Amino acid sequence: MSTKVIGQRIKRNEDPQLLTGQALFTDDVQLSGMVHAAFLRSDHAHAMIKSIDTSVAKKRPGVLAVYTAEDFGDYWHVGPLQVPPPLAIPGAVFNARPLPPIAKDKVRFSGEPLAVVIAESRYIAEDALADILVELEPLKAITNLEKALEPGAPLLHDDLGTNLAADVRQEHGNYAEASAKADVVIKRRFHIDRGAAAAMENRGFVVDWDKRSRQMNVWSNCQAPIPLRNTIAANLGLTASQVRVITPFVGGGFGPKIMTSQAEDVLLPWIAMRLERPIKWIEDRRENFLATTSERDQIHDVEIALTKDGKILGFSDTFYHNTGAYDPYGMTVPLNTHTHTTGSYDIANFFTRVIMVFTNTMIVTPVRGAGRMYGVYIMERMLDIAAKQLKLSPVEIRQRNLIQSNQFPYKTGIIGQDFVENILDSGNYPATLQKAVEMIEYDKFVKEEQPRLRAEGKKVGIGVVCFVEGTAVGPYEGARVNVDGTGKVTVVTGISSQGQGHFTSFAQLVAEQVGVKVGDVRVITGDTGHFHWGAGTFASRGATVAGNAIYTAATKVRNKALDLASKVLETPLEELEIEDGVVRVADIPQKSISLGELATRANPMRGTIDPNMEPGLEATAFYGPPHGATGQGAVAMIVDVDPETYAVKIKRFVIVHDCGTVINPLILDGQIQGGVSMGIGNSYYEQIIYDGHGQVMNASLMDYLLPLSTDMPLKMELGHISTPSPLNPLGAKGVGEAGAIPTPAAFAQAMENALADEKIEILQSPLSQSIMWQMVQEKRK
Amino acid sequence: MFLSIPERNKKKGNGMNLEGEHIFNGPREEVWAMFYDPNVLASALPGTQSLNLVDNNTYEGAMFVRVGPVSGAFTGKLVISDDVPPESCTLTVDGKGAPGFAKGVGHVKFADMGDGKTHMTYDGEVQIGGMLASVGQRMLDSVSKSMIKTAFESLDKALQERVAAKAEGRAAEYKPPTETEFAAAVAKDMGKSVFEIAEVRMVLYVVPIAIILAILGYFFWR
Repeated sequence: MSTKVIGQRIKRNEDPQLLTGQALFTDDVQLSGMVHAAFLRSDHAHAMIKSIDTSVAKKRPGVLAVYTAEDFGDYWHVGPLQVPPPLAIPGAVFNARPLPPIAKDKVRFSGEPLAVVIAESRYIAEDALADILVELEPLKAITNLEKALEPGAPLLHDDLGTNLAADVRQEHGNYAEASAKADVVIKRRFHIDRGAAAAMENRGFVVDWDKRSRQMNVWSNCQAPIPLRNTIAANLGLTASQVRVITPFVGGGFGPKIMTSQAEDVLLPWIAMRLERPIKWIEDRRENFLATTSERDQIHDVEIALTKDGKILGFSDTFYHNTGAYDPYGMTVPLNTHTHTTGSYDIANFFTRVIMVFTNTMIVTPVRGAGRMYGVYIMERMLDIAAKQLKLSPVEIRQRNLIQSNQFPYKTGIIGQDFVENILDSGNYPATLQKAVEMIEYDKFVKEEQPRLRAEGKKVGIGVVCFVEGTAVGPYEGARVNVDGTGKVTVVTGISSQGQGHFTSFAQLVAEQVGVKVGDVRVITGDTGHFHWGAGTFASRGATVAGNAIYTAATKVRNKALDLASKVLETPLEELEIEDGVVRVADIPQKSISLGELATRANPMRGTIDPNMEPGLEATAFYGPPHGATGQGAVAMIVDVDPETYAVKIKRFVIVHDCGTVINPLILDGQIQGGVSMGIGNSYYEQIIYDGHGQVMNASLMDYLLPLSTDMPLKMELGHISTPSPLNPLGAKGVGEAGAIPTPAAFAQAMENALADEKIEILQSPLSQSIMWQMVQEKRK
Repeated sequence: MFLSIPERNKKKGNGMNLEGEHIFNGPREEVWAMFYDPNVLASALPGTQSLNLVDNNTYEGAMFVRVGPVSGAFTGKLVISDDVPPESCTLTVDGKGAPGFAKGVGHVKFADMGDGKTHMTYDGEVQIGGMLASVGQRMLDSVSKSMIKTAFESLDKALQERVAAKAEGRAAEYKPPTETEFAAAVAKDMGKSVFEIAEVRMVLYVVPIAIILAILGYFFWR
């Protein structure tokens, strides 16, 4: 075996290119004759379309075409669903209402496309939008989850006769029996509101149809290039091989870029074929708030049943989930809530029910932490409330309920987003909590520092929570590894990259097996012209699902190289080793052959070959897990709250995480820190606010607050524990969403603790300075 | 559930409450008559491009609107009902354009204060949408207040000129502020932050389009 490369803390291969401005992003694509698209979006959240007059817009100089739904004729169609319904769950009700690419007859959310203008420049296209005369007949909009289900509520989908999108119940054990036996039963209601993914790069799409080669090239910052390719080909009646989707460098995905059925995906390829001109569409920031899917909006009615010692006997959760105006992404988000509520704890009786509701708001699809965050939030909050009631410390009540190391694999009995039972594969949950408690010096803070600081008039508080992160779900990903005559290696995989460091971590997986330098491995992701099997980047699955396919393909190439070298060097396999791009006899290092030479020999140009031989030093492999791998961890944080303004300084933030085998600790740290910053935004700053008419009230970064560098912890400390997953050869688990999941729960606990005198109880997320102020004022009344 | 500031402000009726008053230093008949004078109104409301009577109680007009980062042409329709000259009327406004839309119902009353002054009150509810709502939100409150304040200042001056001209038996001359001066006055108010939400009772969420088109439409060409 060559030098251990997996696990090395090495700098990212892609950074020189990114940092010197050499990287290609979608908006960098410039094609000869390229024209630009702009979408007219509805100002109303719910309305009948009476008429759309595009005649003036069409006459504007520089405008090539203007289309409404009617202009697409038979091509206009809804859907299909991007994620299938949860048929695996008995009794599940799911009303499929896939997304129309452009509104026809009726508008169901503010921002829904009404028309698309194609012009010589984006300026002209946007000016032409103002020329379009739209007659809408406004209908009463519904944004409230409970009121949407009341009789007489305005209906989004008239044919359905209800705003109920889904009703799914799952139970493990028997909650009713458990609560009957409990010493204590606590009930609470929680609201968790919506935030934006707010990627630095908005969505973008460039399409080029070459009539002569009958080939379509698409550049998109989509998270799912292969499904996008398949959708475009199917829509246009092309073979999949006629469409190549390329995802160049992408400035952050965080979930919503998984969409492949929105206006640009469906309409622009069709238009490009008709106009025979390449078309570019780049979303602007305001448009992002109105045109890109978002997440979080649930109301939970929760019950926890415990013994007087704080042992959880049962947990029950019935919640409303806002799916927005349509449900193209199935039930991924609420099913994640189902599987993440019991989280890190051994709970024998658990009932969970989601009532999914259509409202006149943006479609809800996963955003970093998708669905998981709510489950963790309500469980951790209920434990805090129970701990106070039972006079236990937040740490104690958690220790008493954690799943123990000898309980794995731990079957939860709850079906998840991958339609199979959620089984927690491995971990050491007590150890992560213990480490977080030690790192933050919990006892010392509570016994010494906090009393001292409080005596000085400071409002300081501590929060400690646990979390699980279901990751690396199926169905599968694949990869092809190739060594060419230069001895350099190329690895291609179907998933796309949004900044996760794949160009380095994947190169490490290959370098270790093939025996080359990490810098000599070229990684190509998300280009269907190079590799066209796979599902996409979501659910923290890249490093684990694609990673294992890559690792396996690299192992095959290694074996192929060794087999061939054994013949060439006339040496038994077991006496060979690969290092620095050379296969040599371990005892006689001068007896060797380079990988490049082997690659050339593996691809002869004359003569005959072994009938079973596959040419080249190349191999393809696939990996599909039986179920997702579950990461776990604990967060501990200390906040200092300004008693007048409720501005918060995070003094310390400790996160201990177990994602199994670590490929690159530097990238891991980055992923966790990024997730934490998003979690801090979700805790105290970010909230998409709708009024009762379905209008977004803060569609700019002036009003929608992203956390600033000054809002980040003064000190962020990361702790790692590694329990390799038994599910895959690498032993890896995902980590991309880790920071975003537990932070709001830890933040709420720390805020309550800091404001202990005020005796407030936090039952909502996100919080904000003004919300905290109101909460305190209300309590003081 | 505790609400964010914008949610809290909008909770009542889910629209924006439109409520306010102004005391004109002149008799009611003179105030009423002033509103028949298109020159006066145009001076108070820069940006108005046209206003046409399409039937007995329906007007259509166009104006250029600017609220913070949001600007663009706006066309509006106004329906007048329950009018009791010179005392009161009900106005229903429906305006839309590139910056979004506004729909509202308002009630305007003129009361004779008995000391040669007229007390004008208005109240109603306005719903706004599109860019005005989604991007202009933060500016809307203060810009609206400032625009209304500046508009009333212009009207006060016009009224004084009318009263003086009448007394002197000459024709009134108005010196309307330019659009730039008007904008500068609004910007100055914004800078001074004199319109921070202080008064809890009077949530003066006045959408300029609604109120301006309402007043304008009602009295202009009447």
